[in-house]
Amino acid sequence: MTSFMNRHADSSVMGSLRACLRAATSSSPVATWGLLMILLAVIALLSLLFGAGDVGPGRAWQALSDFDAAAMHDSEAHFVIGELRLPRLGIGLVVGIALGIAGALLQAVTRNPLAEPGLLGVSAGSAFAVTLAILWGADAATLRISVAQLGALGGCLCVLAAARLQGIGNDPVRLILAGAILSGLLHSLSSLILLFDQYTADEIRFWVVGSLAGRDAADLMPLAPSLALAALLTVILARPLAALALGEHVAIGLGHHPRMVRLLVIVVVALLVGGATAIAGPVAFVGLVVPFAARALAGPDIRRTLWFCLPLGPIVVVSADIVSRLVVPPSELPLGVITALIGAPVLIAVVRRRRLPML
Amino acid sequence: MTSLRRFCMTATGIAALSATLPASATTLETAFGSVEVDDDPTRVVTLYTGALDTALTAGMTPLGAVATRGGDGVPSYLNDAAGDISIVGTPRETNIEAVAALKPDLILASPQLPEAQYQLLSRIAPTVVPDVTPYQMASWEQEARVYGKALGRLDAVNEAIGTVDAQAQEIREDVAGSSTASLIRWMPQGAIVMAPQIFSNTLLTRSGFTVDDGDTVKQGRPHSDPLSLENLSRIDNDWLFLATLNAEGDEAYQAAKQSPAFERLDVVQQDHVITVDGQLWTSASGPMAAQAILDDIDTAMREMK
Amino acid sequence: MSNTLSTASRPTQPGMTSCSRTQTPSQARTGKLFLTLPLGQRLPLRFVVDKRNLIVNLSLMGLLLLLTGGSLAIGSAATLSASATFEALLGQGSALDNFVVRELRLPRVVAGIVTGSAFALAGCLMQTVARNRLATPGIVGLDNGATAFAVASVIGTGISLAPPAMALTGAAVAAALTFGLTGSIGVRGYRFLVAGIGVGAVFGAITQLMLTRVSIDAANAAYPWTVGSLNARPAHAVSILSLALLPALLAAIRLTRSLTVMRLSDAVATSLGVSTSRCRLMALSVAVILTGLAVAVAGPVGMVALIGPEFARQISARNTVPVVGATLAGAIVMLAADLLGRVILAPIEVPVGIITALTGSPLLLWILLNPHTRTTP
Repeated sequence: MTSFMNRHADSSVMGSLRACLRAATSSSPVATWGLLMILLAVIALLSLLFGAGDVGPGRAWQALSDFDAAAMHDSEAHFVIGELRLPRLGIGLVVGIALGIAGALLQAVTRNPLAEPGLLGVSAGSAFAVTLAILWGADAATLRISVAQLGALGGCLCVLAAARLQGIGNDPVRLILAGAILSGLLHSLSSLILLFDQYTADEIRFWVVGSLAGRDAADLMPLAPSLALAALLTVILARPLAALALGEHVAIGLGHHPRMVRLLVIVVVALLVGGATAIAGPVAFVGLVVPFAARALAGPDIRRTLWFCLPLGPIVVVSADIVSRLVVPPSELPLGVITALIGAPVLIAVVRRRRLPML
Repeated sequence: MTSLRRFCMTATGIAALSATLPASATTLETAFGSVEVDDDPTRVVTLYTGALDTALTAGMTPLGAVATRGGDGVPSYLNDAAGDISIVGTPRETNIEAVAALKPDLILASPQLPEAQYQLLSRIAPTVVPDVTPYQMASWEQEARVYGKALGRLDAVNEAIGTVDAQAQEIREDVAGSSTASLIRWMPQGAIVMAPQIFSNTLLTRSGFTVDDGDTVKQGRPHSDPLSLENLSRIDNDWLFLATLNAEGDEAYQAAKQSPAFERLDVVQQDHVITVDGQLWTSASGPMAAQAILDDIDTAMREMK
Repeated sequence: MSNTLSTASRPTQPGMTSCSRTQTPSQARTGKLFLTLPLGQRLPLRFVVDKRNLIVNLSLMGLLLLLTGGSLAIGSAATLSASATFEALLGQGSALDNFVVRELRLPRVVAGIVTGSAFALAGCLMQTVARNRLATPGIVGLDNGATAFAVASVIGTGISLAPPAMALTGAAVAAALTFGLTGSIGVRGYRFLVAGIGVGAVFGAITQLMLTRVSIDAANAAYPWTVGSLNARPAHAVSILSLALLPALLAAIRLTRSLTVMRLSDAVATSLGVSTSRCRLMALSVAVILTGLAVAVAGPVGMVALIGPEFARQISARNTVPVVGATLAGAIVMLAADLLGRVILAPIEVPVGIITALTGSPLLLWILLNPHTRTTP
């Protein structure tokens, strides 16, 4: 796709758009970041305006503009926007930021561009915990978010424990190997359970595809402490992580402790992805695509990459959510499916560029 | 040509395995061509809930069946009638050796049976795979009749279907009147609306309800994609049947009411929500299941009045 | 290694009409056997066989035969003694025994052997080419593509092709997409893997979407194609795979020398006269074709492509590419897993894909986390 656009760079609109973008991105990262934030704001607005229901953009715009007015002319629109679309947007923002940053951190600490937060066993652990819960009598309607988060963290603990044989501080590559293998193990355990119990299989197939709908701020509350802790740790760890990219000895020389840094980063990733999976279900592809795109725009510096993940993560997730609402009205497609269908071409397009900053 | 070849293979298989050829036999039309079955089979294996249901209705306890619950249980509504039955696998993986070990003279299988499995099973015993169009008003009846004919007990099956009809008629006259209803499964991201043509909804229709799916289900599908919370008004009818696969119905209902979009529905405000057993209502089929569903409807309607 | 090269440049001796084994004393110490099969006056076919590998392969073959016998004898219907099994195989046992052994277990064992061999051979080739112990053809999205197409066929989306044909098509489409999307960059490096992951993710998502839209009965019918199973496999697919396996194995054996040298680095390999791009292309093609055909039979049993070669590497001579050993090891793993799945929770059969994943994962974990092992094969 990129080469196609290169060849036809002189065709009016696309060509000038590309030229603009290129000028903006090469000149100033801050400008690019600003553009991305504007894009995010636009997409956020779109997510409030568009939906699967009868409240179309016109009505929604109307409702938004007289939100403060005492007289609620269009109570339906107000309900839809206030109770349904706004919480969804909020959750989309949180999930997008969490997954994007988690992905960037993991790829930086393992120095492997293929590292994906799902590899830490969180998605597989979460799915396994939910499968077990459903097997033991829970229903999709009554499932608690805490089950999923416990499973996510449990999965991660297993991975960390397995990798401790080598010491994750020493060789993060083995962490990925351990994570990939354990995810496969948990996944097959879930399949085994589904073999036996038809009704569990019937319920779980709707959970594993992820969704942002139906959750609200109250569901975020139990996750808030862990997410806040993760955010704080990210801020603290950014600089040591950047130093680590220069090399182990350089980092030690600058006064950092590589093993501790790596360990803490893994913990942060676990908290972030565990929280995101707990609330939205497995949305696995985001943590791979967002850091790729962020690095393509920001360059190899991890701090810049993290800043760029901040708008890019939510952009990907919220756009996917909007698309999921528009494809099969009056129903919706699951989020995990859309992120894969959108994310994969984006990933491949990014990876085909000639100059790709290495980690 | 191919079905003729299959028929020949089947016949050869039967001849090879059985000591004597049956004195008289019935020919059935199945999804894989014509199949000859004994007039009076005594050793039956069922690989499908609907088949087990029909067999038990017809008074024949099969030797073996597939387990759908926990690896060792047939569906709960059939548990008492089934008694101590051998398990020959799960609906997902049939243990063909276990089927062979039971030395059946008739195998009743699901309409979805893969061809490769059919080839092997038909060499053990005549295998009946009904060829009915799914999701029609009378699909389950046609299916049950095929099984009944194979078992040589068509009369008993017809009788059972007749009883079901009569009971539905009774409910229509006494209780239901004519109201609109929807059958859904609830999850936090939206409602999965069941098609009006699935088994339990056809029974609702016979009982006098008009089953409305709000135009959410595409033709030929058993249910919709999760209906957006913004569009729940489409299932806001006189009655709402809420199917839960696991949890206690009331628990699931309370959990669903946590969602503001669900709670504001008229049908919820008027408390016209009836929780039903999803295992029975969304994944079962057969005369006994029909009976149980009609009992559910009857009880629920009387309670409401 | 140098002895190997010097052998290759020795002149042929005219007039040899029998298979000869020639060794100089110094060559004998390296543990290699040099076999020359004259296919004609001008083209003797030379094989360099590592002694240890030869012993290992023979033992593996013995183990395979043992497992074959065991799989034919043991099962839910009846557990037969060796003589009873043999009789049943010949059609002289009781009717039930004959049917069970000849019609049920024998095709299953054959399917298990050919798919296990195919997966492991493909895995071995892929790992050597990619210089990574965790590489399998599955990472280019083959497994997911095959599953998506097979599931589409099973749940009846109006497609008339049988599931195995669809699975093969799916694998081909996935491979074509991955190779096509990275064609200009080449198959080395992580870009190729990323494209493979992307393609695989798309197909995985499509499969999940399909499974949410159908009745539970249809989803049940599609289950074996999502986990990998040897239960009631279509005979056509097995035949096609069997036909392809021998040529593939011969091609792989032919490539062994080049592959062994390519383990070092491209520069060294080129300087030793190996055409790296051609070798890589051939190895990859064989790997992809084998995996596609194997997935068309059994579904995605990707673990065998990791366990089989790993097992073979552990017991074979170091610094060799144990192509035959991996093939045999893969067949052994597949048969053993299938046997375990049939007996462990009888009468419920656990599909072979689940067993390989459950038993293979801890094993793989133990091997890979051992501080003394490397990440390259």
